Amino acid sequence: MATALGFEKVSKRFIIHHQRPRSFQELTVGFFKRNNASREELWALRDVSFAVERGQTLGIIGPNGSGKSTSLKLITRILEPTSGGIAVNGKVSALIELGAGFHPDLTGRDNVFLNGSILGMGRREMKQKFDEIVEFTELGRFIDMPLKHYSSGMQMRLGFAIATSVDPDILLIDEVLAVGDEAFQRKCLRRIGDFRRRGKTIVFVSHGLDVVRELCSEVIWLDGGVVRGRGGADEVIAQYLRDIGEEASLEQAIQSEEAEQMAAVEEEVGQAVEEPPAEAAPQPPSRWGSREVEITRVEFLDGRGNPCDTFRTGERMLARVHYVAHQRIERPVFGVAIYRSDGIHVSGPNTKASDYEIDYLEGEGSIDYIVEPLPLLEGEYQFSAAVYDYPCTRPYDHHERMYSFEVRQGRVKDAYGVFYIPCEWRLRRGN
Amino acid sequence: MERLRELIRYRELVRNLVARDLKARYKSSVLGFLWCLVNPLLMMAVFTVVFTVLMPNDIEKFPVFILCALLPWNLFSSTVMGSVGSIVDNAHLIKKVYFPREVLPISTVLSNLVNFLLALVVLFAVLFAFRVRLTPWALLLPALILIQVIFTLGLSLILSTLNVFYRDTGIIMETVMLAWFFLTPIFYRMEDLVPRYARLMYWVNPMASIISSYRVILYSGASPALDFLARTFVTALAFLVAGYLFFGRYSRVFGEEV
Repeated sequence: MATALGFEKVSKRFIIHHQRPRSFQELTVGFFKRNNASREELWALRDVSFAVERGQTLGIIGPNGSGKSTSLKLITRILEPTSGGIAVNGKVSALIELGAGFHPDLTGRDNVFLNGSILGMGRREMKQKFDEIVEFTELGRFIDMPLKHYSSGMQMRLGFAIATSVDPDILLIDEVLAVGDEAFQRKCLRRIGDFRRRGKTIVFVSHGLDVVRELCSEVIWLDGGVVRGRGGADEVIAQYLRDIGEEASLEQAIQSEEAEQMAAVEEEVGQAVEEPPAEAAPQPPSRWGSREVEITRVEFLDGRGNPCDTFRTGERMLARVHYVAHQRIERPVFGVAIYRSDGIHVSGPNTKASDYEIDYLEGEGSIDYIVEPLPLLEGEYQFSAAVYDYPCTRPYDHHERMYSFEVRQGRVKDAYGVFYIPCEWRLRRGN
Repeated sequence: MERLRELIRYRELVRNLVARDLKARYKSSVLGFLWCLVNPLLMMAVFTVVFTVLMPNDIEKFPVFILCALLPWNLFSSTVMGSVGSIVDNAHLIKKVYFPREVLPISTVLSNLVNFLLALVVLFAVLFAFRVRLTPWALLLPALILIQVIFTLGLSLILSTLNVFYRDTGIIMETVMLAWFFLTPIFYRMEDLVPRYARLMYWVNPMASIISSYRVILYSGASPALDFLARTFVTALAFLVAGYLFFGRYSRVFGEEV
């Protein structure tokens, strides 16, 4: 396979002038003062080497300021490396700043041609693609109105449509999917999926680890301008999460975004992540998701089918999750999670992990999660319910710890721990 | 060579930027693009009043005399002043998209050139109104314009780069252009100067040779000093090459300096 993109020991240094002489006067004064203390060097990248094969989708992850965006800007040639070499084979298009150079007084149509030419397209090429662009943006008759009357979402759509119409060999994406409404995001993802199927090379920079996992076959983890990890997406993301998790527990401060991501990841993977008791603290309920399917309510029913919120150990527990699908959804995955009131993640099953395949959802309905006999011991519990797409990367609706129920002692007299684990005792005396 | 080929690939951008420039310039005024015709006439009137009524001189057909020099000078000064800030003013683009940066000063030069060509209509109307008989030497006009554009572009490339690193280049240039205006034979004849200074002016000021050539071929209908013109052409080319190399060397860091 041919290499589409290669970094060979690339370093990028920024020089930050705290008091840069921006005029001749300052320059002259500075010359006499011999004041060089105001110069500071910042290495955004240091000796970064990697290669991307043609047709590969590479993700770049890392905390803010790790050099992700600098890498993309080096590929697009907005910046030049301080040392090292960058080889780019093919036409590059960057979804970095959508609609750069849009002029508010010009119409959408004029802006399409202006923006297209900024991206290096010729007039004939633009004319051919114009209809396709307008169709993708769904702007219709707005296309002949001045851009200043557009909503920011409309401008985004226009920018995205133009940038992807370039038909690049290498597509660079930087966080653009974080903007725009959900429907538009899905449309963008679909178009990016098209690119991938057509064997284009994609470099994707994001904080959204779930999207990275969904899109990328390989991931590079940058930290402080150096490569900390490289390999398969799941593996590197797990490494990264462990790292930021450790850091967070050290600092006793998890950014809410990351926390949410971690929670989402747990749910996606569909397995309980071992949490040391020190970290298990009750968390406030929250909700997220794109809402093509909505979870409308969750009911708890006892063995006779009556609503209740208190169960006894060893009896039947049924949680009925009501949903409404606003459109036909193929192969959804439902999941639930049970937490004890002190934050311990007790269980987190989902339909996919249980091999319970659901071919589609349409309209209203409900799904029952039945546990019999209930092994939970006395205590108060929080309950999450969620519905995801099949790869478990896109939450349609996630209700995190929004419900609660109580468990009281039943026939089983166990009182210590989390679970009643059926068991026998056998005593032997002598030998 | 690689850079030139890339520049050609981006010709559509140059065209769009020129169009945007021209649209923006005349969009919000009542007279619109007529201004590029009226403005030279008004300036001609001002100079004529000053130099025939207030300070009479013996120059024949003064309005033609002044207009032949004033129009090319306006082309020069508005291009230089416009392109000094062409990189810095487009920082939002430069930080976000890659394209050959020389597109920006080039499009400033070209949009001013379009303006000038429109204003030439006025010049020929005035020549006609004053019954100035054109001679075949007037056919040198395109060549003259070319020399001037080459020189201006070279200068623009240098100044727009300097302005990225030292923002007061633009301010200094305002004064420089005023001095340059007085040191170029626009409202006076070369012959009016002390001969020693006249020769010096020809040597150090390419614009002096260019502007007086305009006047010679149109107003006097005579042959310009071809040897001087040839030397000016070489100077202009040297400026363009130097400017292009200078610009090319520093345009790599525009992305982080603007």
